[in-house]
Amino acid sequence: MGNKCQVLMVEDDMGIANFMSTILLSNNYGVLRAKNGETALMMVSSYCPDVILLDLGLPDIDGLDVVRQVRTWSRIPIIVVSARSNEKDKVAALDLGADDYITKPFGSEELLARIRTALRHAAGSDSAVEMPLTGVFHTGGLTVDYDKRHVYVDGVDVHLTQNEYKIVSLLSRYAGRVLTYDHIIRSVWGPNSSGDNQILRVNMANIRRKIEKNPGDPAYIFTEIGVGYRMAEGE
Amino acid sequence: MHLPKKKTKLSVRDAGISFGIFLFTCILCALLRFVGGHANYASMLFILSVFMTARFTEGYVWGIAASLIDVLTVNYLFTYPYFHFNFTLAGYPITMICMLAVSLATSALTSRAKLVERIRIEAEHEKTRSNLLRAVSHDLRTPLTSILGATSAVIEHGETLSQQERVELLEGAQEDACWLIRMVENLLAVTRVDADGGGQIVKTPEAAEEIIAEAVAKFKKQFPDANVQVRVPDELLIVPMDSVLIGQVLMNLMENAVVHGEKTTHILLSLTKRNNRAFFEVEDDGVGIDPEKLPHIFDGTLPQDNFSHINGKRSMGIGLSVCNTIVRAHGGVLEAKNRPEGGASFSFSLSITEDQNGQ
Repeated sequence: MGNKCQVLMVEDDMGIANFMSTILLSNNYGVLRAKNGETALMMVSSYCPDVILLDLGLPDIDGLDVVRQVRTWSRIPIIVVSARSNEKDKVAALDLGADDYITKPFGSEELLARIRTALRHAAGSDSAVEMPLTGVFHTGGLTVDYDKRHVYVDGVDVHLTQNEYKIVSLLSRYAGRVLTYDHIIRSVWGPNSSGDNQILRVNMANIRRKIEKNPGDPAYIFTEIGVGYRMAEGE
Repeated sequence: MHLPKKKTKLSVRDAGISFGIFLFTCILCALLRFVGGHANYASMLFILSVFMTARFTEGYVWGIAASLIDVLTVNYLFTYPYFHFNFTLAGYPITMICMLAVSLATSALTSRAKLVERIRIEAEHEKTRSNLLRAVSHDLRTPLTSILGATSAVIEHGETLSQQERVELLEGAQEDACWLIRMVENLLAVTRVDADGGGQIVKTPEAAEEIIAEAVAKFKKQFPDANVQVRVPDELLIVPMDSVLIGQVLMNLMENAVVHGEKTTHILLSLTKRNNRAFFEVEDDGVGIDPEKLPHIFDGTLPQDNFSHINGKRSMGIGLSVCNTIVRAHGGVLEAKNRPEGGASFSFSLSITEDQNGQ
């Protein structure tokens, strides 16, 4: 741990900024603070932080514009901080290239978990995601074997259809991160498929009946209502 | 107070009513003529029909139209010479003026009565809202006071307090803040139902089991000790709803089971399909609901000192009345009962088919 990870926090509310930076500093992160979008964009280019925590409601420019502009030249992980009941904003931010979101109000555990996930994916993003998948993924009793294209629950082989396997392996590759409905549909059914969530929902219901002990209380694949799906963190 | 502008559009319904009344009167007059032969009552009956038309339709248009048509009809069909217009009849202008006057006066009275009714409903709405606002403000003050007290105690007397005392004070503040967040979520839910003033909501088809799963996951985050069991059917139920609001209902019902069940150890949240409706039920094994309070449990009118601060736990009266509002806006009914084996049960059902009858 030679260098601390630098977190750029873009937040205009002093109270929230203070509490987040206290948590981050005490967990050994370096903190950069920006109060508005313009400053944030400047700081991204001059300091190259390891992760950006971005509040969408900024006083000067739309938070979504910040995502858009950063993504034109950088793949720095962006975690969007948003108020509840704004599913559209969350989805828009994710589709523009934000990596994840966290909903206000949130606790310190949640914040740290999201940052860890984002950093881990960032570390692997340049090589691993682009390459064909090999190896295995574990979370709890769920195992995805990318070589054999098989999924096991507690050691028992689960028979998934082609599309079901594609969905599970896609989610497992981004485990811990939320993937929007659109992202999943485009990856599984191709870029020209219609934006109908229904078929994805039906597939997900079938997957859950195969891999979850209780589809009404899932342990592996969680729903983020109105946004998408998230698989439990891998081990 | 803002009143919606009266619709000037002519509705099909009103056209039907006007035509129906007209036809009925014509047939009645024709029948009476076969029986009696005398024609004087025709004018009277048509005046009555103009009155009815003006009474049961919106605005003035249909009443006036009816009075004109009726005058002509009486003239053409039911006065000598039959099946001819004759505008030289004695007293004809008077009949005409009478009918017009009846129509105008009735329409005016009716519109006025309808306006008064609308104002009354609006006032009622306003009253419930201000009642809710008062209850909420009252409820918000208590935890805010305790947060303020705890934090200033730590800031001002931090050195003289023991570590444990500080932690206890801050934990109290944390608990109160969590409660405030839940309360605010409820208020946001109410405004979402109330957004257009008419209690309209936007329904989208959602997988019911996903809504349940998310509500349970969130609930477990807030109440890690709660023991919640979930049961969903094998069939995937796609239900048109506002997912945020129904999620809020389920959260409130589970929270209610924990907070007011007092000795609740198990909560069962189940989803079943009954008569083409998705049936949601939250059951607990707590102390159940006081039978005296059962009829008033949803309307938020329970006396504050009776219902709040049971065991130091704050009122869920607002949470339940929010649930009721949301379920009603979805075209369902929230039902509460005590289970024979002990504990309370709250249930509601939503239509699975796409028809937007919840309007």
